[in-house]
Amino acid sequence: MNNEFVKKSRFEENGKVFETGAPVTGAVSIENAIAVGFGDGSIRFFWPDNDPLEVQAHSGAILSIASSNDGVITGGQDGRFLKISTNAEVEEVYNFGTRWVDNVAAYESMVLCSSGKNVYIWSGENDKPKILEHQSTIGGIAIDQNGRRIAVSCYGGVTLWRLEKNKWKSSKFAWKGSHGKVGFSPDGKYLVTTMQENELHAWRIRDKASFAMSGYPSKVKSFTWAGDNPYLVTAGAKEAICWPFDGKEGPKGRKPLCIASGGQQNATFVESLPGEKAVFAGFRNGMVLLSELSEHPNDVLIQNPTGSEVSNISISPDRSHILVGDSKGQILWSPLWEQ
Amino acid sequence: METNTSQVPVTVLTGFLGAGKTTLLNRILTEQHGRRYAVIVNEFGEQGIDNDLVVDADEEVFEMNNGCICCTVRGDLIRILGGLMKRADQLDAIIVETTGLADPAPVAQTFFVDQDVADRTKLDAIVTVADAVHLSTQLGEHHEAEEQIAFADVVLLNKIDLVDKSQLTGVKDRIRKINPYTKIIETNRCAAPIEEILGLNAFSLDRVLEVEPDFLDSDHDHEHDDDVTSVSFVSDTPLDLEKFEKWFGNLLQTHGQNILRSKGILDFKNEKDRYVFQGVHMLMDASPMGPWPEKSIRNSRVVFIGRKLETMNLKEGFESCKSD
Repeated sequence: MNNEFVKKSRFEENGKVFETGAPVTGAVSIENAIAVGFGDGSIRFFWPDNDPLEVQAHSGAILSIASSNDGVITGGQDGRFLKISTNAEVEEVYNFGTRWVDNVAAYESMVLCSSGKNVYIWSGENDKPKILEHQSTIGGIAIDQNGRRIAVSCYGGVTLWRLEKNKWKSSKFAWKGSHGKVGFSPDGKYLVTTMQENELHAWRIRDKASFAMSGYPSKVKSFTWAGDNPYLVTAGAKEAICWPFDGKEGPKGRKPLCIASGGQQNATFVESLPGEKAVFAGFRNGMVLLSELSEHPNDVLIQNPTGSEVSNISISPDRSHILVGDSKGQILWSPLWEQ
Repeated sequence: METNTSQVPVTVLTGFLGAGKTTLLNRILTEQHGRRYAVIVNEFGEQGIDNDLVVDADEEVFEMNNGCICCTVRGDLIRILGGLMKRADQLDAIIVETTGLADPAPVAQTFFVDQDVADRTKLDAIVTVADAVHLSTQLGEHHEAEEQIAFADVVLLNKIDLVDKSQLTGVKDRIRKINPYTKIIETNRCAAPIEEILGLNAFSLDRVLEVEPDFLDSDHDHEHDDDVTSVSFVSDTPLDLEKFEKWFGNLLQTHGQNILRSKGILDFKNEKDRYVFQGVHMLMDASPMGPWPEKSIRNSRVVFIGRKLETMNLKEGFESCKSD
């Protein structure tokens, strides 16, 4: 949507736009860079002070990306699970052939991925992965803040694996339906999943008490945590829907905050601004807003509509830059603060 | 399922083990030079597929929590089609090969139920490869064989050199009894023109208008109550929109599990547009499709394919929708 009458935002004025031609499929912070994965199998590292560095890694789309001790790890449609350093060295951890590597995650020197119904864990110097089996294809994986628990979502709920005396013990958090992304709350007390239906599901880990967060007009493809409460910030509606997770019962029986209400279309990606009570929301038409976590929030325009769905928003580790990527491959890389 | 130029067409290949699915698949892939296909195969595939973009899938059938008991979808397809849409290269088409014993309903329903799938891809057609020698026996023994014929937009009746004329007529009659809408292509070694298999747009509502069913005598004898059959009705009296919505909604609610497919063109009183619908079990796609063409006969036509159709009082129900 090249409309010359649209007033550019400060971020569009001050930032750089890259047309990569390949959908942005994920991004992650690594050292002082943001590493972005693309639908053509490439990775690009964006630094505050240098030009981006492109690495051709996979053939076919990159399906997932995470940061590990010594680089980013990626899973691709070529069945490869790779480790890529910030100076462009590519190392193959494992090759699954025609099976896609759908999810990856890391904690210190432990790296894991999912392909089909299995999670594969490499820890320390072991060449042979430990395999955790599940009943259906895995929708998402997450590691808690201490690296002691792994949550794995699939059809029928979440399996929570705990490392006890060097053995992974499982416990099932059941809820009918197909579960996608999974995450721990920052305090490690709750598990949250996105569902095939237009809703999220959550469990309090202590007693497995569970509840649904529903009412969305479309599938919830993205969630994050923001503020001190904290709030679970979610995409899937015309506003960023933020559920309060403070107190004993979390959001049960309470109303969510609805912020970033200036978008005409459903939100497709949300990200928090670390250290602030503020949230970025990207929408289906490419618009990105920054909004405050409050009852009467002010919205700041980050990006005008581009015509393509926002598929990633990332903040550089030093909080100096914002990166916005969309499903057609446009990247906005811009200083976050007035210079 | 709105038609949109950026939607990648998806063709579903069904058929029993040994009918010739892989032969057909390899023919499509070798004959269509310069076109880019993704092929989604199941893990029990018979032999090698000659294509550089082959994705392995498990047939994972998921129930939806939407209060609709027969609403199942293929979870693996949602994941894989979503993943293929993230690629930078443009695909001309996607072909999904199912296992011999697969029920096509969850595949078709995936395109009705999942918004992301419906936005970026469209179900082009269900093509069933059938073995002229064994189909009659298989139809008697397996529900899935009947379902594969009932859902087929095209039946590729293969290995016809191995049957005589009366056997061929018999098996074709059997197919038409189940599905009068399907197009039957007789082949040996799946040697059918590719343009009769791909790019059919069979699930678009426009196509309902174009395809005339091959109506058969409706009082045929069948052996089991569980046989899949079809019935069709025509009314020259315009229908009452409210009455029809009430009857049809209630019908799908109560008998949706046994109605495999339904299609129709409807003439409502005081409405200048033609209404077209098509459904899979309880799910339905319906829309006004512009005014009636000047020279065409204005009437209402509906077809049902399913089991136990005789228990649903379909004729009485349809008749009761006529306007006063």
